[in-house]
Amino acid sequence: MKRKTFILSILSILVIVSLIFTSACSTSSTSGANSSTAANSTPQVITLNLAGENNTIDPNRASWTSERTIIIQCFDGLLTFNSDLTLAPMVAKEIPTVANKDISADGKTYTIKLKNNVTWSDGTKVTAKDFVFSFKRLFSPDLASEYESFYSDVVGGDAYFSATGKTDAEKQALQDAIGVRAVDDYTLEIKLTDSLPTFTQLLALWPVFPVRQDMVAKYGDKWAQPDANGAMPNYIGNGPFILKEWVQQDHYTLVRNEKYWGTKPKLTQITFKELTDANLALAAYKAGELDQSGVPGGTEQTTMNDATLSPQILRFPTLTTYAFQFNVTKPPFDNKLLRQALACAIDRSAYINQVRHGVGKVALSWIPPGMPGFDATLGTDWSFNPTKAKQLLAQAGYPDGKGLPELKFQIANTGANPTIAAFLQGQLKDNLGINLTVELMESKAYSALYNAKQFTWGFTGWGADYPDPDDWLPQLYMTGAGNNKTGYSNPAFDAISKQALAELDNTKRLQLWAQAQAMVVADQPMIYVFNRETFVLQKPWVKGMVTSGLDGNVAGDTFLRNVYIQK
Amino acid sequence: MAVEINTPVVFERPPHTLWGDAIIRLRRNYFAMGGLAFIILLSLAAICAPLITHYGFADQHLDQILQGPSAQHWMGTDQLGRDTFARLLYGARTSLAVGIFTQFIVIVIGLPIGAIAGYAGGRVDNYIMRFVDVMYAFPDILLIILLRSVLGGSIYMLFLAIGLVAWVNISRLVRGQLMALKSRDFVSAAKAMGGMGPYITWRHLLPNALGPIIISITFNIPRAIFTEAALSYIGIGVKPPTPSWGAMIQDGFNLIFSKPYMLLFPAIALALLMLAFTFLGDGLRDALDPKMRR
Amino acid sequence: MGRFIIRRVLWLILVLFVVLLITFILMHLVPGGPWDREKALAPKVIEALNKRYGLDLPLWRQFVNYAWGVLHGDLGISYSYSDRTVVSILAHGIPKTATLGILAFVVAQAIGIPFGVAAALKQNSAVDYASVLFSTVFASIPGFVLGILLIVLFAVVLHWLPTSGWGSIQQLIMPVFCLAALPAAQSARITRASTLDVMRQDYVRTARSKGIMESTVRVRHIFRNSLIPVVTVAGPELANLITGSFIIENLFAIPGVGRLFVQGIFARDYTLIMGGVLFYAITIALLNLVVDILYAAIDPRIRYE
Repeated sequence: MKRKTFILSILSILVIVSLIFTSACSTSSTSGANSSTAANSTPQVITLNLAGENNTIDPNRASWTSERTIIIQCFDGLLTFNSDLTLAPMVAKEIPTVANKDISADGKTYTIKLKNNVTWSDGTKVTAKDFVFSFKRLFSPDLASEYESFYSDVVGGDAYFSATGKTDAEKQALQDAIGVRAVDDYTLEIKLTDSLPTFTQLLALWPVFPVRQDMVAKYGDKWAQPDANGAMPNYIGNGPFILKEWVQQDHYTLVRNEKYWGTKPKLTQITFKELTDANLALAAYKAGELDQSGVPGGTEQTTMNDATLSPQILRFPTLTTYAFQFNVTKPPFDNKLLRQALACAIDRSAYINQVRHGVGKVALSWIPPGMPGFDATLGTDWSFNPTKAKQLLAQAGYPDGKGLPELKFQIANTGANPTIAAFLQGQLKDNLGINLTVELMESKAYSALYNAKQFTWGFTGWGADYPDPDDWLPQLYMTGAGNNKTGYSNPAFDAISKQALAELDNTKRLQLWAQAQAMVVADQPMIYVFNRETFVLQKPWVKGMVTSGLDGNVAGDTFLRNVYIQK
Repeated sequence: MAVEINTPVVFERPPHTLWGDAIIRLRRNYFAMGGLAFIILLSLAAICAPLITHYGFADQHLDQILQGPSAQHWMGTDQLGRDTFARLLYGARTSLAVGIFTQFIVIVIGLPIGAIAGYAGGRVDNYIMRFVDVMYAFPDILLIILLRSVLGGSIYMLFLAIGLVAWVNISRLVRGQLMALKSRDFVSAAKAMGGMGPYITWRHLLPNALGPIIISITFNIPRAIFTEAALSYIGIGVKPPTPSWGAMIQDGFNLIFSKPYMLLFPAIALALLMLAFTFLGDGLRDALDPKMRR
Repeated sequence: MGRFIIRRVLWLILVLFVVLLITFILMHLVPGGPWDREKALAPKVIEALNKRYGLDLPLWRQFVNYAWGVLHGDLGISYSYSDRTVVSILAHGIPKTATLGILAFVVAQAIGIPFGVAAALKQNSAVDYASVLFSTVFASIPGFVLGILLIVLFAVVLHWLPTSGWGSIQQLIMPVFCLAALPAAQSARITRASTLDVMRQDYVRTARSKGIMESTVRVRHIFRNSLIPVVTVAGPELANLITGSFIIENLFAIPGVGRLFVQGIFARDYTLIMGGVLFYAITIALLNLVVDILYAAIDPRIRYE
């Protein structure tokens, strides 16, 4: 008897404990559920899917597109991008140029005048000091910002960033030496070590959005973190929306900034959910819980054939190129003719049109269409041509594949990667009779192999941080550059790149980059495969959506301030 | 009138062994035999796959992508126009191998360890079980990622990786059974007759503990097949283009709304295999039950 | 019994230490670190990040620092969720995951054990076959497939339940059911097998021959004694459920600890991995202790000491 009660009591404890947990947790809010019952006018609320949890939403620290999605709603920088990817002034009065003297003749000093009516969401003015603080914080060695390297050309920035082991006094001295200062409340001066014309584009990116010194002083790096209830009282921005709530791993709630200095957005509330599973997101969309959702990869054709869903499709190209990149330092891929032969053996349009149901665009060169530097005529020599592929293979010293060592291809096993690997395998088999060994790897293991340049042939994608060849060519193809994993080294390319990076005349600059890209494409250190196209569903009542090639995982996130709801 | 040949008129039984007896009893169990037949047939079909279908598991037909079942492709085609029926047949090789070999590793490691702990008890039991606690607790995904990256990506490594983390359940189960059995009269009798520990364990304890162990193993075979699917999902499964049922279910899941048959066929195949193992497991349990001797 | 429990709890400390040490070594052996990603970070950035998180120290120092922190209740700061302490992350996720797990466990046993007993008492009857069919069906549908089917049916078609998320009782129903399906099936099979074993034991025959009422025989002699394997399997099963399922939490977008832990492994978020392992190890060890206590409670012949 005694033992029976013992078992029973354990069971009842379990039940009670679970009930306590349930009731304790059910108090956390499910916002947005009852907002659709508003009486007269259509509620201006939208629910989108961020598809994952963010690391940080501190502008100085953020590095992922889903982090940018939140930050750009809450902050305005000096400059911004228009939907056609040209620059526009935001907090700055005008775009700095040499012509308007905001950029000095040597291209090394930027003097930026600010608007005097920009306010933080608590009503205080945004001044040049806020930008100075943000720049200096970006270079802080203790903060370890991942985008610091983008701004290496600022005087004193790197010296401060590298001061990890130094004393506080030494760090302070280095921080004071950074070439960013407030001339007066509405004039900001930035000094660069070299002429860098694309620095204006860097001024439009989130790492140098203004940051409140008082909040950071008070709360340290936790200023961008929610409190225990998910509220964000210290996350003060100068953007069109205020982040009211971040319930971690669950959702974000943003509300309209009623004190916004510019044109107030029409939406009163944006909710970002964090549904990671693609099938779940689609189900939530169909159930009316989301106003926009992606579709699981491979279902695009069915979606297009669906009478209800097809009018709700929203698709647009994004600035991303995918490529099969070689390690050109190791045999057999140090052989240019072999690389060219393989490039000619891949039917990219079959991949786009059949496997991806026409979503995306065949790429034959590196810089994607829709941004400066794209050249449609480049790379056509290495488009799909099985006969030429066979000839090149013979010229490379492997007639009919004879004497070719085992070819290995490494790829991270994420998303549609296994499919593209199997596709490549099939193409080489069918068009050249070559067997390819595919090594599917866990994502980090792949990245480690790749960063250590131990791979032989891999798959990579590159998305634009900003729409300029500066972001696409030198980082990947200059000898020894940080993201040059192929080991590509071409002195002619290096020389022309150095010239282009500093060239203040835009036309001439782009001409130089065109030459540089042509050199790379001819050498085929990568086989260019396709450009990405975003393919999402959006409810018909979402109006005013403007998309851009720089959009992140949430389609239209760059211009949510223009969106409204009309039912 | 026909003579009733089945009538049991055996008055005296020939000398028999546990296993010999078990086979006779198993043969009388139609469900178990049906399950066994299905497993054997599937294994044969997997081995002789090239004789059954003329499609290869890696042949891509880019002009016939994601087609529904037809006379040409009995179970339709996948994202690369590969024949699903062919992939299912060849995939049975991977999945059966994963299911059976991992359980083999599990038995080889888990059974003796559990038996020693359960029989010896006391300090030995404590040491072994704390070791099992350690094994339970640490993250198997980490171990599998490590094993796969250090030892390479062959399918044998996959067996080893799954088996090495799965044996703890069986060892705890065996231990629990032996702890309950060892104080029974027949064990005391065997001990009194001078039986040695290993002999008693092997001869008296394990056969009596087999029921739940067999059930657990037949249950774990499909679980191992699922584990393989989960591993494919996180990037440490079988190499493409080798098919496996787990990976096919994973692929089909992505297309569940648009091409449900992509999920349906591998899922049904797995369910049938599971049913076959369940029937066989139940039959084996009944057959090996020493109390069932008539 | 008291001394036994105290001894086991002391052992727990050693087990935890060993688990943490092994995990720490494994974690650093696995290829790829927290800052490895396809778009490489600049070496100076990696250096600064290592410094920030104390990863520039020799490994043994890192472990000693970590262990020292654990003794003070400090599990460090996560790398993939900046500025959040692992303690706060776990405190955020564990209640949710544990609620789901405990509910799923209760549901699983409430379905599985009666089914198994009924199947055994009426071996080869319709109940028996129904139980086989039920357990086969639920054991052969992967959780994520069952989950999405439920979502489509109850959220998209019928609009009875929300698809996913956390906060209301309605949101619990589908994930609990998905989590419970496989353990329920397994429990039914194991219960059937062990009940059949026990039914043929001498003491059951003796009890019957003494003329004890059949219902009493069933409850006191058969059911109770058939629980040993059920309890053995249930212990780790409960631990499994409490510590969360990556697949189910991911599918239903539940902010639980199971999802965080697996994501932590993929992100090589060392402190989060260690924190998750610590939680997992404590849960497992305590539940195995409970199982061992239950053994003795169920079967008076099992004695410790």
